[in-house]
Amino acid sequence: MILRIAWRNLWRRTRRTLLTVSTVSLGLALLLISLGLGDGSHRQMIDSAVRMGVGHLVIQQTGYQEGAEIDRTLAPSQVIDAESWIEKQRSRFPIRDRLRRVFASGLASSADGSTGAQIIGIQPEGEMRASLFDEKLIQGRFLHKEGADQVVLGEGIARKLKLELGEKMVLMAQAAYTSEIQSKLVRVTGIIRTGLEQFDQMLVLMHLDTAQEFLGLGTSVHQVAIFLEDELLSEPLATVGKKELPELEVLHWGEALPELRDYIRVDDGGNYVFHVFIFLLIAFTVMNTLLMSVLERSREFALLDALGLAPGKRFAMVLVEGTLVALLSALAGGLLGYSGHLYLHVHGLPIDAFYSGDISAAGVTLDPVLYSDLSFNRIAGSVSLVMILTLLLALLPALRAARAGNVHLLGNV
Amino acid sequence: MTLRLEAVSRLYQQGDQMIRALDDVNLELGEGEFVALAGPSGSGKTTLLNIAGGLDRPTQGMVWVDNQELTRMSRSRLAQLRLEEIGFVFQGHNLVPVLTAEENTEFILLLRGVPPGERRANVRAILKEVGLEGMENRKPAELSGGQQQRVAVARAIAAEPHLVLADEPTANLDSETAFALLDLMEKLNREHRTTFLFSTHDPRVMKRARRIIQLVDGRIEKDSPVVGAVLE
Repeated sequence: MILRIAWRNLWRRTRRTLLTVSTVSLGLALLLISLGLGDGSHRQMIDSAVRMGVGHLVIQQTGYQEGAEIDRTLAPSQVIDAESWIEKQRSRFPIRDRLRRVFASGLASSADGSTGAQIIGIQPEGEMRASLFDEKLIQGRFLHKEGADQVVLGEGIARKLKLELGEKMVLMAQAAYTSEIQSKLVRVTGIIRTGLEQFDQMLVLMHLDTAQEFLGLGTSVHQVAIFLEDELLSEPLATVGKKELPELEVLHWGEALPELRDYIRVDDGGNYVFHVFIFLLIAFTVMNTLLMSVLERSREFALLDALGLAPGKRFAMVLVEGTLVALLSALAGGLLGYSGHLYLHVHGLPIDAFYSGDISAAGVTLDPVLYSDLSFNRIAGSVSLVMILTLLLALLPALRAARAGNVHLLGNV
Repeated sequence: MTLRLEAVSRLYQQGDQMIRALDDVNLELGEGEFVALAGPSGSGKTTLLNIAGGLDRPTQGMVWVDNQELTRMSRSRLAQLRLEEIGFVFQGHNLVPVLTAEENTEFILLLRGVPPGERRANVRAILKEVGLEGMENRKPAELSGGQQQRVAVARAIAAEPHLVLADEPTANLDSETAFALLDLMEKLNREHRTTFLFSTHDPRVMKRARRIIQLVDGRIEKDSPVVGAVLE
């Protein structure tokens, strides 16, 4: 009976109930879409960062993250240990690729000048599968097997040194384990634009073997990068790695790119503030409706009291009304929000209309189209939160209903 | 069920003035009595009925229903007592607007946990007796004032309470319906020894009572059996 009365009470003022349900639903839908776009853009940033260099996980010599010293290499035996550990993990984690890399800072010179360079030695075939370097090529071709002297330059450094495809340049860098400066004559085979201006002004990609020889590394590397099918597994795999490879530095992307991780945290913080506003909007709407609904039924609650409906049951009745509003809103808002997410997941939200040129944040180029990404946990969490909030807000009106019992509302004194 | 009011007074603040709605009222009703409460408007009839049913608390005095003292009971306990023992008919029709005539009538039975079959049968029979057959599914807004009053009476007596407190139960009713309703109340009183205390202005209704209590300015001015009333 309580459920029946509560349900009918809702539809006593159809327009008001629909308005309330619509407001809460829209709030929830907005929340889900905002969460989807937030998570989607973060995932795109992480994916971009991961595929533009770092990888989902990196295994490197202890302390390399802090100073990136050229001498802090993984010895050949450590590389083999790390790679066999990775192979063992394939049964538990969806590992797509593992790639060796070396890094060095140096000087690049052409007939037109010199500039600082960030030299990265890579395995071209693997990088073409796992990273985005080859996709960012704007001129020439990517590194290929033949030609140990070939390099791919960032657009900025090529422009600074006024280098064209096929032209030569000299690279100078300090060799590992000695203080000697090495130099090497290389030829430009391709130019890439990552979208990160600072990065493009220094980037020099070359064959891993060539870089190892140039830098006197032998077969040592600075890093073994791991690429996964699912970014969310980065942390769990890193946890296993830290435990099973205690002598090495096993970092997930968030640890390898702390500035990106912090940017996402700050951005999430901003989003949470926005979400709080949405919740406040929901809160005031629900509170207003339920309170008004209870206040205008004071006479009716007095009647129910007189008929013997105990205060607890009157309290429950208003809570049931709140629950019904919450359920209807969760259903409508969930469907609306999920539909919005699906649309933005497939078609995306173009943000390039608002910006000119490449957009980057925290050292990562942003995709000009944002795609929504919404996990089940996000949906369940948001819907539950809206429902819990609605129920909490129904407590005060419910309490008023429980206390209502003014007999003077029922008739003359 | 017996009802006893001991030195009951009820004062209300109205602006700067104190209104004495009841003034040192002493009253005792035995089981199976059929009592009319008479008096002009503002004499305290409704207040007395509300206090007798535990809907209002006296400023002074005590109220006993059987051996239970009402003024110290919690609101939950009072609600429980009303649910189990007391039927009310209010001056305004006071039906639950979102429920149909049948649902309003079965409300108390449902709260009491009466099984659905028994509940429906009782309700249908009572609605028939008060002349509302065929109107079971109408909501209060679809009923006339008199019909609503009949639903209110049906609700009060459907659960066969031991005490019925009725405030002008036949107001808004035509003579035929009013007498049918009184017949029903008398039948319940006779067959189940239900105690009835009802306020009225209507001399025809007063004639059916077996005892009349006259209230004036919150005091019992006269309390006497009706001459010629058929007593069991």
